[in-house]
Amino acid sequence: MADLIIFLVLLAMGYGFGRYAEAKHYKSIIQREAEFRDIPVVTSKFPPLTKPLSDVELVTGSVVISVDYFKRFIAGLRNLVGGRVTAYETLLDRARREAILRMQEEARAFGGYIIFNVKLETSSIHKGRKNSIGAVEVLAYGTVLIKQ
Amino acid sequence: MKYSNPEIPEGINTSVQHPLKEFFLLTGGILGLVLIVVVALTLLADRLAVYIPFELEVELATRVINEETADVESPPIENYLNKLADKIAVEQALPPEMQITVHYVDDELVNAFATLGGHLFMFRGLLEKLPHENAVAMVLAHEIAHIKHRHPIRSMGRGIIFGLAMGMVSSTLGNAMTDQVLANTGGLTVLKFNRDQESEADQTALDSLYQLYGHVDGADTLFEVLEQVSGDVSLQMPEFFSTHPLSENRVNNIHDFQTEHSTTTNRATAPLPDEYAAWLISVSEK
Repeated sequence: MADLIIFLVLLAMGYGFGRYAEAKHYKSIIQREAEFRDIPVVTSKFPPLTKPLSDVELVTGSVVISVDYFKRFIAGLRNLVGGRVTAYETLLDRARREAILRMQEEARAFGGYIIFNVKLETSSIHKGRKNSIGAVEVLAYGTVLIKQ
Repeated sequence: MKYSNPEIPEGINTSVQHPLKEFFLLTGGILGLVLIVVVALTLLADRLAVYIPFELEVELATRVINEETADVESPPIENYLNKLADKIAVEQALPPEMQITVHYVDDELVNAFATLGGHLFMFRGLLEKLPHENAVAMVLAHEIAHIKHRHPIRSMGRGIIFGLAMGMVSSTLGNAMTDQVLANTGGLTVLKFNRDQESEADQTALDSLYQLYGHVDGADTLFEVLEQVSGDVSLQMPEFFSTHPLSENRVNNIHDFQTEHSTTTNRATAPLPDEYAAWLISVSEK
């Protein structure tokens, strides 16, 4: 019985803190995306030829976000029946957008005006007990063009 | 060519569904399904466990029990109980491979139980409170009836299947805490007899007492003793009562049996051996 209570408390805590953190994070993401809209992020392999001669730099943005207890539990149940793991969708969406934002922030520090050849990489770090995902890392990297 | 990142509407890469809705749907659905499957499996295990040969049960039991009682010389009380148990076993027409072994436990706990491989454990606390041989025989007959009806292996079958099913579910979940919760629940069910099994054992016990002594007088003494103990020190042995039918009902069953089989022959209760009290003196008190 005590175990069950601990479990429910953990679940409630995971849900409460997780929801709060997610809402706060999304608010910040949407606000900063508007802020950095003037630095386009494109996946084209080659630099835009029409642009004036530029310096180039490598820019990276990386973020690690942990799964909360509630999300992990739901995802575990989802494993049994299959279907969209909605609990992890928001997690990865946040991580990708945050990584791009950090890359843009770095580009701005260089005085860059466009980032091209952008790539995203995702990995789960700290595989917990029985391979349950503990946290995800998303790395965004690209080449920034800086006006000479 | 113009490069730009326009504002993209939210909710394309994520789902708008409220997480709590998903939580209740999933837990309700899956736990409900798991419950149904587990109940079905445990019932099946309960039925099928009877077909496990008794030899296998003995083998299972010796691994545990012989280790604990190997080099202890059996006290006279154990010999007496075993002789009585053999007589009852004959009356209950146990198959030849079902060998009953009674173990005496020098502990003040008022308890007695039957386990795998025909092993019975009788506690000093209970034996001290029994005034005549008929009451001792009632306890033995009840526990031997459990063995006869294969209750220990059936309970274990239920427990193991339950534990396995829970283990499979929780390993799929990959969650340490759920694992713990489920394992604990599984462990609880192992080696506990349900009320139907207790009633069945009572009935068989009464039949064998009737065959042995020609009457069942004195059988209810056991329940009087248990009732008294539960009133005195309820903390000492709650587990015996939680799974056993109410003592009052069991006494009523005995009285019904008495009226059905009323005989005019000698209905005196058989006395205990003279040395009985001396046998029961705890080793630590000697």
